Amino acid sequence: MRIITENILRFLLLVIVQVLFLNNLQFTFCTPYIYILFILSLPVSCPRWLDLIAGFVLGLTIDMFSNTLGLHTFACVLIAYLRYFAIKLFVSEENRITNIPSFHSFGVMPYIKYVVLLTVIHHTALLALETMTFVNWWITLLRIVISSAVSIAIIIALQFLKRN
Amino acid sequence: MKNLIQFFIRYSIFFLFLLLETTAFLLIVHNTGYQRIVLLSSANSIAARMYQVSGSVIDFFKLKQANIKLNEENADLRNQIVELQNELGRIRNQQNDTTYIPAENDLQYIPAKIINNSTNKYKNYITINKGKRDGIMPGMGVIATDGVVGIVKTVSEKFAVIIPILNPEISINSKFKSNNYIGPVEWQGKDYRFANLMDIARHVHVNKGDSIITSGLTSVFPEGIPVGTVEEFSLGENDAYYNIQLRLAVNFRTLSYVRVIRNNNRPEWESLENTANDNPN
Repeated sequence: MRIITENILRFLLLVIVQVLFLNNLQFTFCTPYIYILFILSLPVSCPRWLDLIAGFVLGLTIDMFSNTLGLHTFACVLIAYLRYFAIKLFVSEENRITNIPSFHSFGVMPYIKYVVLLTVIHHTALLALETMTFVNWWITLLRIVISSAVSIAIIIALQFLKRN
Repeated sequence: MKNLIQFFIRYSIFFLFLLLETTAFLLIVHNTGYQRIVLLSSANSIAARMYQVSGSVIDFFKLKQANIKLNEENADLRNQIVELQNELGRIRNQQNDTTYIPAENDLQYIPAKIINNSTNKYKNYITINKGKRDGIMPGMGVIATDGVVGIVKTVSEKFAVIIPILNPEISINSKFKSNNYIGPVEWQGKDYRFANLMDIARHVHVNKGDSIITSGLTSVFPEGIPVGTVEEFSLGENDAYYNIQLRLAVNFRTLSYVRVIRNNNRPEWESLENTANDNPN
């Protein structure tokens, strides 16, 4: 029960921060999308179908606020699906029993790898789909690189804060 | 049969994944049919309410700039009153002239406040706090004190979403103020301060600082609203067209009040043009 409330609160908080604050950041080429921390922090034991549905709902909510119907939904469902494989790939068997992904439960390096891989996949899918063209592809690439770097930095920094 | 069922159960997660991704993709592709998606865009009332609250907080910090803007606009309006009074005096003298036909008042301006705005995406959108009940319809032009802002895309009862120039989905039909050569202004997705003027043939004389205004050849914008000024231009040896970069007249980052243009002659204008298109003879 506590885990469900915790996740719902995290969902609301991240959506509000993303929509009211981060989406309005006025730096050229850079919009961090840290709302995906919700998907990254779902319990390891969460059934995979619930992962997917949660990703879908999260994406649709963000889309509603940013007039990008379908874009965030697509990217979110994609990483919600790949999350399972990422955990399998980076996290050792004994650490996988612990529930909420964090530095503490996964170990520092595995957790960073997990965050980096999924964030980059999400941002690439999102920004490439948003542009939907290969004209000026290097601008899209620049957007992906800068936005991913900033998102990852924020997510990791949040973990450090939590640990202290 | 049993194998088939087992197959579906085994890969059920993958099928769910495919189903959700297809839904998302269809939503992206159908995004252009705007009437249907009002519910799922930021013109819906939950999202719009939230933006209204956050907008009022942001407004507080923009008050000083807004004040300066209002002052400027005030001065501008006063100048216009003086001009109009002069004009009126002139026309009163002309009253006995039977060949004089008074201009019809076909434009109305609906003032609106921006409650959400972005400038750093590839496709930017603006949400305003006026909608269908204030007379706003999709396709209407939107301007600010400084110049052209964009075109209304989606309308709900109380809110509307605008596609600004900072979105490659639209181009603004524009011309040189000095010599009337016409070309579309398009945004390349890079810097919110600059856009490009296309289709200007190489025989045209272009100077740095030339004013670009709306052409008045569509029913969306009247003639003469500033779009921008020429910042840089280049012409390769073999190019048929100039490569012209404009500094946009409107600063989209500090924008907070706009006016929507309602052209009362628009239905007549467009239906006439459509009839002409349908019956070329």
